[in-house]
Amino acid sequence: MNSKDIVLIGILSATITAGKLALSFIPNIEVVTLLFIAYTIVFGYRKTMFVSLIFTTTEIFIYGLNTWLLVYYFIWPFLILLTEIMKKAVKSEYGYAVLGGIFGYAFGFFFAIGESLFYGIAYGWAYWIRGLLFDLIHGTSNFIVILTLLNPLKSLLSKLKMAYYREKS
Amino acid sequence: MSKKIIAIISVLVLAALAFAGYKAFLSPKGVEGAKEVTINIVIEKEGIDKTFTYNTNHEFLIQLLEENKEELGITFEEFDFGKMITGMMGYTADPTSEYFHIYVNGEDATTGVAEIPLNDQDSYTFELKNF
Repeated sequence: MNSKDIVLIGILSATITAGKLALSFIPNIEVVTLLFIAYTIVFGYRKTMFVSLIFTTTEIFIYGLNTWLLVYYFIWPFLILLTEIMKKAVKSEYGYAVLGGIFGYAFGFFFAIGESLFYGIAYGWAYWIRGLLFDLIHGTSNFIVILTLLNPLKSLLSKLKMAYYREKS
Repeated sequence: MSKKIIAIISVLVLAALAFAGYKAFLSPKGVEGAKEVTINIVIEKEGIDKTFTYNTNHEFLIQLLEENKEELGITFEEFDFGKMITGMMGYTADPTSEYFHIYVNGEDATTGVAEIPLNDQDSYTFELKNF
């Protein structure tokens, strides 16, 4: 990893945090899933894994250490790995829209597992059921956001990547 | 119509159906009519352990709490995920370490305060706890 990679990881992490904060006033409509998928496709899973670590750690600085934030350390790398596995076989944005949709629908379930470890299965179950409507919004909006924005974002990022690595440091 | 618009409309229709299914089968339903219920508030560190009995026609606990807000010394805060109790009997929970745990007939509540239906002879306990 060279200095350009390190700078790039910092910039990508900042864009994800900014993207999340910019839409935080609308419950469960976000661009974080879209950005992680796009970054994994364009920049590869290694750099994006670092981005996810920095993003989650920044969230802890913003919101304080909460049990739900600990789940972030697993859930985003999991999405990155799934994208990396799909990347060779799936070229269409429909595949990633389905991935993002399922990821959004299951989001509360992942957190319910985390909450169960801390507070017991009854709490985790209640947490999941309580959040089902939010998961419904999350998965549906992820599908639409990824379907409409992934391709333009991918081509823009690919151009920027080429220009960035072509320039001499 | 482009393929993408059809896909988006299909997903929105499926989401609307899932929403209707949730409302019909999973979301708690209130019961109409007169009910007698008990509200118990426990704040151990303040030596508070009070019980109130109400006769009500309301369907959900939140409506009863709002009606008797002053007597119960209750304060709420609105979050994007719903209403949360922040204080009872004039005591405000420290948001960094305390919350009001809700028991319905001695069992942990499985939903937030806004979704708990009122049933005749039920008892609702609010206990200040640390997290």
